[in-house]
Amino acid sequence: MSMFRSKKLDLGGFVNGKIIRDHTKRKVFEQHEAERQALRYVIRNTSLPQRARAQAQLQLATMHAYTRSTQIKNRCVAGGTARFIIRDFRLGRFQFREQALAGELPGVRKASW
Amino acid sequence: MSLLSCPRLLLRAGQRLQPLLLSRHSSSLKEPPSIDTPSIDIPSTSSLVKDNVMSSGEGLLPDKSNSPSVLNGQLTQPSGSPELPVTNWEQRLNGLSGKARLPRSVQAVYLRPLRRKAEHGLPVCDLQLRSYSVRNVEFFSDFAIRAAYYLGLPASGPVPLPRIVERWTVPRSNFVHKKSQENFERITLRRLIQIKDGNPETVQAWLAFLRKYAFHGVGMKANIWEYDSLDVAENLDKTGEETERSLEGLFSYFGQREDTRSDRSLTDMLDKNHLVTTKSPLSEVGSR
Amino acid sequence: MAAQYSRILDLAKVQCRIFSLNFNPERLRLGNKVLRQRLRGPSLAAWYPKKTVSFRDLQATYKPLGLTMFDEREDDREEALQIAKLRGKGRPKKKRTAAESRSAKKKK
Repeated sequence: MSMFRSKKLDLGGFVNGKIIRDHTKRKVFEQHEAERQALRYVIRNTSLPQRARAQAQLQLATMHAYTRSTQIKNRCVAGGTARFIIRDFRLGRFQFREQALAGELPGVRKASW
Repeated sequence: MSLLSCPRLLLRAGQRLQPLLLSRHSSSLKEPPSIDTPSIDIPSTSSLVKDNVMSSGEGLLPDKSNSPSVLNGQLTQPSGSPELPVTNWEQRLNGLSGKARLPRSVQAVYLRPLRRKAEHGLPVCDLQLRSYSVRNVEFFSDFAIRAAYYLGLPASGPVPLPRIVERWTVPRSNFVHKKSQENFERITLRRLIQIKDGNPETVQAWLAFLRKYAFHGVGMKANIWEYDSLDVAENLDKTGEETERSLEGLFSYFGQREDTRSDRSLTDMLDKNHLVTTKSPLSEVGSR
Repeated sequence: MAAQYSRILDLAKVQCRIFSLNFNPERLRLGNKVLRQRLRGPSLAAWYPKKTVSFRDLQATYKPLGLTMFDEREDDREEALQIAKLRGKGRPKKKRTAAESRSAKKKK
Protein backbone atom coordinates (compact mmCIF):
# COMPACT_ATOMS: atom_id res chain seq x y z
CA MET A 1 0.00 0.00 0.00
CA SER A 2 1.35 3.31 -1.05
CA MET A 3 0.70 5.04 2.25
CA PHE A 4 3.13 2.74 4.00
CA ARG A 5 5.78 2.74 1.34
CA SER A 6 8.79 4.88 2.10
CA LYS A 7 8.99 7.93 -0.10
CA LYS A 8 12.59 7.30 -0.91
CA LEU A 9 13.97 3.91 -1.77
CA ASP A 10 15.59 2.51 1.36
CA LEU A 11 16.81 -0.76 -0.06
CA GLY A 12 20.17 -1.68 -1.43
CA GLY A 13 20.99 -4.59 -3.68
CA PHE A 14 18.49 -6.18 -6.00
CA VAL A 15 15.18 -4.32 -6.06
CA ASN A 16 11.90 -4.98 -7.76
CA GLY A 17 8.30 -4.15 -7.03
CA LYS A 18 7.59 -7.29 -5.11
CA ILE A 19 10.63 -6.85 -2.93
CA ILE A 20 9.66 -3.28 -2.16
CA ARG A 21 6.17 -4.42 -1.26
CA ASP A 22 7.43 -7.18 0.99
CA HIS A 23 9.89 -4.85 2.63
CA THR A 24 7.10 -2.37 3.30
CA LYS A 25 5.04 -5.10 4.90
CA ARG A 26 7.93 -6.03 7.12
CA LYS A 27 8.42 -2.49 8.29
CA VAL A 28 4.71 -1.96 8.95
CA PHE A 29 4.58 -5.20 10.90
CA GLU A 30 7.51 -4.10 12.98
CA GLN A 31 5.84 -0.81 13.78
CA HIS A 32 2.57 -2.35 14.88
CA GLU A 33 3.82 -5.54 16.46
CA ALA A 34 3.59 -4.27 20.03
CA GLU A 35 0.04 -3.11 19.48
CA ARG A 36 -0.95 -6.43 17.99
CA GLN A 37 0.59 -8.31 20.86
CA ALA A 38 -1.22 -6.13 23.38
CA LEU A 39 -4.52 -6.83 21.68
CA ARG A 40 -3.72 -10.51 21.50
CA TYR A 41 -3.02 -10.48 25.21
CA VAL A 42 -6.36 -8.89 25.96
CA ILE A 43 -8.08 -11.45 23.77
CA ARG A 44 -6.37 -14.41 25.37
CA ASN A 45 -6.82 -13.24 28.94
CA THR A 46 -9.90 -15.00 30.26
CA SER A 47 -9.93 -12.96 33.43
CA LEU A 48 -10.85 -9.80 31.56
CA PRO A 49 -14.51 -8.94 30.87
CA GLN A 50 -15.96 -10.62 27.84
CA ARG A 51 -16.91 -7.29 26.33
CA ALA A 52 -13.40 -5.92 26.38
CA ARG A 53 -12.07 -9.11 24.85
CA ALA A 54 -14.62 -9.04 22.06
CA GLN A 55 -13.73 -5.43 21.33
CA ALA A 56 -10.09 -6.27 21.25
CA GLN A 57 -10.88 -9.02 18.79
CA LEU A 58 -12.73 -6.59 16.58
CA GLN A 59 -9.95 -4.10 16.79
CA LEU A 60 -7.35 -6.68 15.87
CA ALA A 61 -9.46 -7.79 12.94
CA THR A 62 -9.86 -4.23 11.68
CA MET A 63 -6.13 -3.57 11.65
CA HIS A 64 -4.60 -3.24 8.25
CA ALA A 65 -3.51 -6.38 6.48
CA TYR A 66 0.04 -5.06 6.25
CA THR A 67 0.37 -5.16 10.04
CA ARG A 68 -0.05 -8.93 9.91
CA SER A 69 2.98 -11.14 9.99
CA THR A 70 1.40 -13.74 7.73
CA GLN A 71 1.65 -11.27 4.87
CA ILE A 72 5.41 -11.45 5.00
CA LYS A 73 7.03 -13.80 2.54
CA ASN A 74 10.73 -14.48 2.39
CA ARG A 75 12.14 -13.45 -0.94
CA CYS A 76 15.49 -13.97 -2.56
CA VAL A 77 17.70 -11.01 -1.78
CA ALA A 78 19.56 -11.31 -5.06
CA GLY A 79 16.76 -12.25 -7.44
CA GLY A 80 13.39 -11.57 -5.82
CA THR A 81 11.98 -15.05 -6.29
CA ALA A 82 9.66 -16.24 -3.56
CA ARG A 83 10.08 -20.00 -3.82
CA PHE A 84 12.78 -22.29 -2.49
CA ILE A 85 14.48 -19.68 -0.38
CA ILE A 86 17.42 -20.97 1.64
CA ARG A 87 17.07 -19.04 4.83
CA ASP A 88 20.70 -19.21 5.88
CA PHE A 89 21.71 -17.20 2.86
CA ARG A 90 18.40 -15.51 2.04
CA LEU A 91 18.82 -16.69 -1.51
CA GLY A 92 16.66 -18.57 -3.95
CA ARG A 93 17.84 -21.93 -5.14
CA PHE A 94 19.37 -20.78 -8.37
CA GLN A 95 21.08 -17.74 -6.92
CA PHE A 96 22.39 -19.99 -4.18
CA ARG A 97 23.80 -22.41 -6.71
CA GLU A 98 25.42 -19.68 -8.75
CA GLN A 99 27.00 -18.00 -5.77
CA ALA A 100 28.08 -21.27 -4.18
CA LEU A 101 29.79 -22.37 -7.37
CA ALA A 102 31.45 -18.98 -7.63
CA GLY A 103 32.74 -19.43 -4.10
CA GLU A 104 30.95 -16.40 -2.73
CA LEU A 105 29.33 -18.25 0.14
CA PRO A 106 31.96 -19.00 2.76
CA GLY A 107 32.33 -22.65 3.57
CA VAL A 108 29.84 -23.93 1.01
CA ARG A 109 31.28 -26.60 -1.22
CA LYS A 110 29.99 -29.16 -3.61
CA ALA A 111 29.15 -32.24 -1.64
CA SER A 112 29.41 -35.86 -2.53
CA TRP A 113 29.06 -38.75 -0.21
CA MET B 1 61.91 -11.93 28.53
CA SER B 2 60.48 -9.28 26.35
CA LEU B 3 59.13 -11.78 23.87
CA LEU B 4 57.17 -13.44 26.56
CA SER B 5 55.13 -10.35 27.14
CA CYS B 6 54.60 -9.68 23.47
CA PRO B 7 53.24 -12.73 21.69
CA ARG B 8 52.73 -10.77 18.49
CA LEU B 9 56.41 -10.20 18.20
CA LEU B 10 56.84 -13.79 19.08
CA LEU B 11 54.58 -14.84 16.27
CA ARG B 12 56.34 -12.64 13.83
CA ALA B 13 59.63 -14.07 14.87
CA GLY B 14 58.03 -17.43 14.37
CA GLN B 15 57.19 -16.60 10.77
CA ARG B 16 60.72 -15.48 10.12
CA LEU B 17 62.12 -18.58 11.64
CA GLN B 18 59.78 -21.11 10.14
CA PRO B 19 62.60 -23.13 8.59
CA LEU B 20 64.26 -23.33 11.93
CA LEU B 21 61.18 -24.84 13.38
CA LEU B 22 61.11 -27.64 10.88
CA SER B 23 64.73 -28.42 11.26
CA ARG B 24 64.45 -28.27 15.01
CA HIS B 25 61.65 -30.76 14.90
CA SER B 26 63.58 -33.04 12.70
CA SER B 27 66.68 -32.79 14.77
CA SER B 28 65.60 -32.74 18.37
CA LEU B 29 61.93 -33.42 18.65
CA LYS B 30 62.15 -35.82 21.53
CA GLU B 31 64.15 -33.57 23.70
CA PRO B 32 62.57 -31.77 26.64
CA PRO B 33 62.23 -27.98 26.39
CA SER B 34 65.56 -27.52 28.12
CA ILE B 35 67.68 -26.94 25.07
CA ASP B 36 70.43 -24.69 26.09
CA THR B 37 73.48 -26.80 25.44
CA PRO B 38 75.32 -25.16 22.58
CA SER B 39 76.27 -28.47 21.03
CA ILE B 40 72.69 -29.08 20.01
CA ASP B 41 72.03 -25.53 19.03
CA ILE B 42 74.79 -25.13 16.54
CA PRO B 43 73.30 -27.41 13.93
CA SER B 44 69.90 -25.86 14.34
CA THR B 45 71.07 -22.33 13.75
CA SER B 46 73.28 -23.32 10.93
CA SER B 47 70.54 -25.34 9.38
CA LEU B 48 68.45 -22.21 9.44
CA VAL B 49 71.07 -20.56 7.37
CA LYS B 50 71.22 -23.46 5.04
CA ASP B 51 67.50 -23.48 4.72
CA ASN B 52 67.26 -19.86 3.79
CA VAL B 53 69.64 -20.47 0.99
CA MET B 54 67.90 -23.57 -0.15
CA SER B 55 64.32 -22.53 0.22
CA SER B 56 64.29 -20.85 -3.16
CA GLY B 57 65.44 -24.05 -4.75
CA GLU B 58 64.22 -27.51 -3.90
CA GLY B 59 62.64 -26.71 -0.57
CA LEU B 60 64.03 -29.83 0.96
CA LEU B 61 64.73 -29.85 4.61
CA PRO B 62 68.32 -30.36 5.58
CA ASP B 63 69.11 -33.11 8.00
CA LYS B 64 71.01 -32.82 11.18
CA SER B 65 73.85 -34.58 9.47
CA ASN B 66 74.72 -31.50 7.46
CA SER B 67 78.13 -30.51 8.65
CA PRO B 68 78.71 -26.88 9.51
CA SER B 69 81.78 -26.70 7.35
CA VAL B 70 79.76 -27.24 4.18
CA LEU B 71 77.32 -24.59 5.27
CA ASN B 72 80.04 -22.12 5.92
CA GLY B 73 81.37 -22.82 2.47
CA GLN B 74 77.97 -21.91 1.05
CA LEU B 75 77.73 -18.82 3.09
CA THR B 76 80.90 -17.37 1.74
CA GLN B 77 79.34 -17.27 -1.68
CA PRO B 78 77.65 -13.88 -2.00
CA SER B 79 75.17 -15.02 -4.68
CA GLY B 80 72.55 -16.77 -2.54
CA SER B 81 71.14 -13.84 -0.57
CA PRO B 82 69.38 -10.99 -2.35
CA GLU B 83 67.62 -9.81 0.84
CA LEU B 84 69.66 -7.61 3.10
CA PRO B 85 68.06 -8.39 6.47
CA VAL B 86 68.57 -12.09 5.85
CA THR B 87 72.29 -11.68 5.40
CA ASN B 88 72.44 -9.57 8.48
CA TRP B 89 70.75 -12.24 10.44
CA GLU B 90 73.13 -14.85 9.12
CA GLN B 91 76.11 -12.72 9.87
CA ARG B 92 74.90 -12.07 13.32
CA LEU B 93 74.41 -15.71 13.98
CA ASN B 94 77.82 -16.51 12.61
CA GLY B 95 79.35 -13.72 14.62
CA LEU B 96 78.06 -15.37 17.72
CA SER B 97 80.10 -18.38 16.66
CA GLY B 98 77.71 -21.07 17.71
CA LYS B 99 76.96 -19.71 21.13
CA ALA B 100 73.58 -18.38 20.00
CA ARG B 101 70.45 -19.63 21.53
CA LEU B 102 67.01 -18.33 20.79
CA PRO B 103 64.98 -17.09 23.71
CA ARG B 104 63.00 -19.84 25.34
CA SER B 105 59.71 -18.22 24.45
CA VAL B 106 60.65 -18.28 20.79
CA GLN B 107 61.78 -21.85 21.03
CA ALA B 108 58.46 -22.70 22.62
CA VAL B 109 56.66 -21.51 19.52
CA TYR B 110 58.01 -24.52 17.70
CA LEU B 111 57.05 -26.99 20.34
CA ARG B 112 53.75 -28.15 21.63
CA PRO B 113 51.97 -25.38 23.57
CA LEU B 114 52.84 -25.18 27.22
CA ARG B 115 50.08 -25.43 29.74
CA ARG B 116 49.51 -24.47 33.30
CA LYS B 117 48.12 -26.98 35.68
CA ALA B 118 44.71 -26.30 37.14
CA GLU B 119 44.71 -26.32 40.87
CA HIS B 120 41.02 -26.82 41.60
CA GLY B 121 39.67 -27.67 38.17
CA LEU B 122 36.81 -25.22 38.43
CA PRO B 123 35.66 -24.25 34.93
CA VAL B 124 35.59 -20.50 34.41
CA CYS B 125 35.28 -19.97 30.71
CA ASP B 126 34.33 -22.06 27.71
CA LEU B 127 35.58 -20.73 24.42
CA GLN B 128 34.21 -22.25 21.28
CA LEU B 129 35.99 -21.61 18.02
CA ARG B 130 34.20 -22.24 14.76
CA SER B 131 35.48 -22.23 11.27
CA TYR B 132 34.97 -23.86 7.91
CA SER B 133 38.62 -24.70 7.51
CA VAL B 134 40.68 -27.00 9.68
CA ARG B 135 43.88 -25.01 9.33
CA ASN B 136 42.38 -21.79 10.58
CA VAL B 137 40.66 -23.26 13.58
CA GLU B 138 43.65 -25.40 14.53
CA PHE B 139 46.02 -22.50 14.26
CA PHE B 140 43.89 -20.16 16.23
CA SER B 141 43.14 -22.65 18.98
CA ASP B 142 46.86 -23.20 19.32
CA PHE B 143 47.36 -19.46 19.51
CA ALA B 144 44.64 -19.16 22.13
CA ILE B 145 46.21 -21.85 24.30
CA ARG B 146 49.62 -20.23 24.10
CA ALA B 147 48.10 -16.89 25.00
CA ALA B 148 46.36 -18.51 27.94
CA TYR B 149 49.66 -19.95 29.13
CA TYR B 150 51.41 -16.61 29.05
CA LEU B 151 48.50 -15.02 30.90
CA GLY B 152 48.79 -17.69 33.56
CA LEU B 153 45.47 -19.33 32.78
CA PRO B 154 45.18 -23.12 32.93
CA ALA B 155 43.60 -24.11 29.66
CA SER B 156 42.39 -27.49 28.55
CA GLY B 157 41.72 -28.45 25.00
CA PRO B 158 41.32 -27.89 22.15
CA VAL B 159 38.56 -30.46 22.29
CA PRO B 160 37.23 -31.21 18.81
CA LEU B 161 33.47 -30.94 19.06
CA PRO B 162 31.19 -32.70 16.56
CA ARG B 163 31.17 -31.07 13.17
CA ILE B 164 28.03 -29.32 12.03
CA VAL B 165 27.19 -30.52 8.57
CA GLU B 166 24.56 -28.66 6.61
CA ARG B 167 23.56 -29.96 3.23
CA TRP B 168 21.41 -28.52 0.51
CA THR B 169 20.18 -30.16 -2.63
CA VAL B 170 19.13 -27.84 -5.41
CA PRO B 171 17.94 -28.52 -8.95
CA ARG B 172 20.55 -27.50 -11.44
CA SER B 173 18.05 -25.66 -13.61
CA ASN B 174 14.32 -25.33 -14.13
CA PHE B 175 11.87 -27.63 -12.50
CA VAL B 176 11.44 -29.61 -15.73
CA HIS B 177 14.89 -30.99 -15.13
CA LYS B 178 14.23 -31.88 -11.53
CA LYS B 179 16.05 -35.16 -11.99
CA SER B 180 19.37 -33.41 -12.32
CA GLN B 181 20.25 -31.96 -8.96
CA GLU B 182 23.32 -30.79 -7.19
CA ASN B 183 24.41 -31.14 -3.60
CA PHE B 184 26.13 -28.52 -1.53
CA GLU B 185 27.40 -28.74 1.98
CA ARG B 186 28.89 -26.57 4.63
CA ILE B 187 30.86 -28.18 7.40
CA THR B 188 31.49 -26.14 10.50
CA LEU B 189 34.41 -27.33 12.58
CA ARG B 190 34.42 -26.57 16.24
CA ARG B 191 37.03 -26.55 18.94
CA LEU B 192 36.42 -26.07 22.60
CA ILE B 193 38.94 -24.52 24.94
CA GLN B 194 38.15 -24.50 28.60
CA ILE B 195 39.79 -22.25 31.12
CA LYS B 196 39.90 -23.54 34.65
CA ASP B 197 40.15 -21.55 37.83
CA GLY B 198 41.38 -18.30 36.36
CA ASN B 199 40.86 -14.84 37.65
CA PRO B 200 37.75 -13.42 35.90
CA GLU B 201 39.61 -10.26 34.97
CA THR B 202 42.45 -12.25 33.44
CA VAL B 203 39.94 -14.29 31.51
CA GLN B 204 38.45 -11.07 30.22
CA ALA B 205 41.89 -9.87 29.22
CA TRP B 206 42.52 -13.17 27.45
CA LEU B 207 39.26 -12.90 25.53
CA ALA B 208 39.97 -9.31 24.63
CA PHE B 209 43.40 -10.30 23.42
CA LEU B 210 41.94 -13.06 21.27
CA ARG B 211 39.40 -10.66 19.86
CA LYS B 212 42.10 -8.16 19.08
CA TYR B 213 44.10 -10.74 17.14
CA ALA B 214 41.06 -12.50 15.73
CA PHE B 215 41.99 -14.76 12.86
CA HIS B 216 40.17 -14.59 9.57
CA GLY B 217 37.47 -17.14 9.10
CA VAL B 218 37.34 -18.13 12.74
CA GLY B 219 34.35 -17.29 14.89
CA MET B 220 34.46 -17.23 18.65
CA LYS B 221 31.86 -17.80 21.29
CA ALA B 222 32.60 -17.66 24.99
CA ASN B 223 30.60 -18.77 27.97
CA ILE B 224 31.86 -17.30 31.19
CA TRP B 225 30.91 -18.45 34.65
CA GLU B 226 31.31 -16.21 37.60
CA TYR B 227 31.53 -17.57 41.08
CA ASP B 228 30.51 -15.82 44.21
CA SER B 229 31.02 -16.44 47.86
CA LEU B 230 28.42 -18.42 49.78
CA ASP B 231 26.70 -15.38 51.26
CA VAL B 232 25.23 -14.41 47.92
CA ALA B 233 22.10 -12.97 49.44
CA GLU B 234 24.04 -10.48 51.50
CA ASN B 235 26.00 -9.32 48.52
CA LEU B 236 22.85 -9.08 46.46
CA ASP B 237 21.28 -6.91 49.14
CA LYS B 238 24.30 -4.67 49.09
CA THR B 239 24.44 -4.30 45.35
CA GLY B 240 20.67 -4.07 45.14
CA GLU B 241 20.68 -0.78 47.01
CA GLU B 242 23.31 0.61 44.70
CA THR B 243 21.52 -0.43 41.55
CA GLU B 244 18.26 0.93 42.88
CA ARG B 245 19.90 4.24 43.52
CA SER B 246 21.38 4.30 40.04
CA LEU B 247 18.04 3.37 38.50
CA GLU B 248 16.03 5.91 40.43
CA GLY B 249 16.30 8.45 37.67
CA LEU B 250 15.03 5.97 35.12
CA PHE B 251 12.22 4.68 37.27
CA SER B 252 10.89 8.17 37.75
CA TYR B 253 9.75 8.05 34.13
CA PHE B 254 7.58 5.01 34.78
CA GLY B 255 4.20 4.72 36.40
CA GLN B 256 1.08 6.77 36.49
CA ARG B 257 1.18 10.51 36.71
CA GLU B 258 -0.33 12.00 39.82
CA ASP B 259 -2.72 14.27 37.98
CA THR B 260 -4.24 11.47 35.91
CA ARG B 261 -4.85 9.13 38.81
CA SER B 262 -8.46 8.11 39.39
CA ASP B 263 -10.27 5.54 41.46
CA ARG B 264 -11.72 3.62 38.56
CA SER B 265 -10.94 -0.06 38.42
CA LEU B 266 -9.13 -1.65 35.53
CA THR B 267 -12.26 -3.28 34.16
CA ASP B 268 -14.06 0.06 34.09
CA MET B 269 -11.19 1.59 32.22
CA LEU B 270 -11.19 -1.21 29.72
CA ASP B 271 -14.89 -0.65 29.20
CA LYS B 272 -14.77 3.07 28.87
CA ASN B 273 -11.56 4.22 27.35
CA HIS B 274 -10.12 3.93 23.88
CA LEU B 275 -10.68 0.19 23.86
CA VAL B 276 -14.32 0.90 23.17
CA THR B 277 -13.57 2.84 20.02
CA THR B 278 -13.93 0.52 17.10
CA LYS B 279 -12.05 2.64 14.64
CA SER B 280 -9.02 1.07 13.14
CA PRO B 281 -5.72 2.22 14.53
CA LEU B 282 -4.54 2.89 11.00
CA SER B 283 -7.49 4.94 9.81
CA GLU B 284 -5.65 8.11 10.62
CA VAL B 285 -2.68 6.95 8.62
CA GLY B 286 -4.93 6.26 5.66
CA SER B 287 -6.60 9.68 5.78
CA ARG B 288 -3.32 11.49 5.60
CA MET C 1 -5.88 -32.74 54.05
CA ALA C 2 -7.76 -29.62 53.19
CA ALA C 3 -5.79 -27.62 55.66
CA GLN C 4 -2.62 -28.93 54.15
CA TYR C 5 -3.73 -27.89 50.69
CA SER C 6 -4.33 -24.37 51.88
CA ARG C 7 -0.89 -24.37 53.45
CA ILE C 8 0.63 -25.45 50.17
CA LEU C 9 -1.28 -22.70 48.41
CA ASP C 10 0.10 -20.20 50.86
CA LEU C 11 3.56 -21.48 50.23
CA ALA C 12 3.08 -21.20 46.50
CA LYS C 13 1.80 -17.69 46.95
CA VAL C 14 4.82 -16.64 48.91
CA GLN C 15 7.04 -18.31 46.38
CA CYS C 16 5.39 -16.40 43.57
CA ARG C 17 5.73 -13.15 45.46
CA ILE C 18 9.41 -13.66 46.14
CA PHE C 19 10.31 -14.68 42.62
CA SER C 20 7.80 -12.28 41.07
CA LEU C 21 5.77 -14.94 39.33
CA ASN C 22 2.07 -15.00 38.62
CA PHE C 23 0.10 -16.82 41.26
CA ASN C 24 -2.52 -18.73 39.33
CA PRO C 25 -3.73 -21.78 41.24
CA GLU C 26 -6.87 -22.25 39.10
CA ARG C 27 -4.73 -22.33 35.97
CA LEU C 28 -6.76 -19.68 34.24
CA ARG C 29 -5.68 -18.66 30.79
CA LEU C 30 -4.22 -15.26 31.39
CA GLY C 31 -2.55 -14.82 28.03
CA ASN C 32 0.83 -14.38 29.62
CA LYS C 33 2.43 -16.44 26.93
CA VAL C 34 1.74 -13.59 24.53
CA LEU C 35 3.65 -11.26 26.79
CA ARG C 36 6.48 -13.71 27.08
CA GLN C 37 7.00 -13.97 23.34
CA ARG C 38 9.83 -11.97 21.97
CA LEU C 39 9.20 -9.35 19.33
CA ARG C 40 9.95 -10.69 15.89
CA GLY C 41 9.69 -7.40 14.07
CA PRO C 42 13.31 -6.24 14.15
CA SER C 43 14.68 -9.51 12.82
CA LEU C 44 12.00 -9.75 10.15
CA ALA C 45 12.51 -6.16 9.02
CA ALA C 46 16.23 -6.76 8.59
CA TRP C 47 15.76 -9.33 5.83
CA TYR C 48 16.68 -7.16 2.87
CA PRO C 49 19.99 -5.33 2.69
CA LYS C 50 19.86 -1.67 3.58
CA LYS C 51 20.63 1.11 1.21
CA THR C 52 24.27 2.04 1.12
CA VAL C 53 26.06 5.01 -0.32
CA SER C 54 25.79 5.17 -4.08
CA PHE C 55 27.77 7.05 -6.67
CA ARG C 56 25.00 9.56 -7.00
CA ASP C 57 25.15 10.35 -3.31
CA LEU C 58 28.83 11.08 -3.66
CA GLN C 59 28.11 13.29 -6.63
CA ALA C 60 25.45 15.15 -4.71
CA THR C 61 27.75 15.76 -1.77
CA TYR C 62 30.73 16.88 -3.82
CA LYS C 63 28.88 19.12 -6.25
CA PRO C 64 28.35 22.00 -3.77
CA LEU C 65 32.09 21.96 -3.11
CA GLY C 66 32.75 22.56 -6.79
CA LEU C 67 34.15 19.09 -7.37
CA THR C 68 32.92 17.07 -10.30
CA MET C 69 32.98 13.33 -10.51
CA PHE C 70 33.02 11.17 -13.58
CA ASP C 71 30.70 8.19 -13.62
CA GLU C 72 31.99 5.99 -16.37
CA ARG C 73 29.05 3.67 -16.45
CA GLU C 74 26.54 6.48 -16.62
CA ASP C 75 28.57 8.11 -19.37
CA ASP C 76 28.59 4.88 -21.36
CA ARG C 77 24.87 4.56 -20.99
CA GLU C 78 24.22 8.06 -22.23
CA GLU C 79 26.51 7.54 -25.15
CA ALA C 80 24.72 4.33 -26.12
CA LEU C 81 21.42 6.18 -25.93
CA GLN C 82 22.75 8.89 -28.20
CA ILE C 83 23.89 6.33 -30.74
CA ALA C 84 20.54 4.56 -30.62
CA LYS C 85 18.76 7.85 -31.17
CA LEU C 86 20.91 8.65 -34.18
CA ARG C 87 20.07 5.28 -35.66
CA GLY C 88 16.42 5.97 -35.12
CA LYS C 89 16.20 3.31 -32.42
CA GLY C 90 15.46 5.64 -29.53
CA ARG C 91 12.31 5.52 -27.51
CA PRO C 92 9.12 6.65 -29.23
CA LYS C 93 7.77 10.09 -28.51
CA LYS C 94 5.37 10.38 -25.66
CA LYS C 95 1.77 10.65 -26.82
CA ARG C 96 0.37 13.75 -25.15
CA THR C 97 -3.24 13.61 -26.28
CA ALA C 98 -5.79 10.85 -26.64
CA ALA C 99 -6.19 11.57 -30.35
CA GLU C 100 -2.54 10.96 -31.05
CA SER C 101 -2.46 7.61 -29.39
CA ARG C 102 -5.67 6.53 -31.03
CA SER C 103 -4.54 7.46 -34.51
CA ALA C 104 -1.35 5.53 -33.99
CA LYS C 105 -3.35 2.47 -33.11
CA LYS C 106 -5.71 2.81 -36.04
CA LYS C 107 -2.94 2.98 -38.59
CA LYS C 108 -2.01 -0.55 -37.69
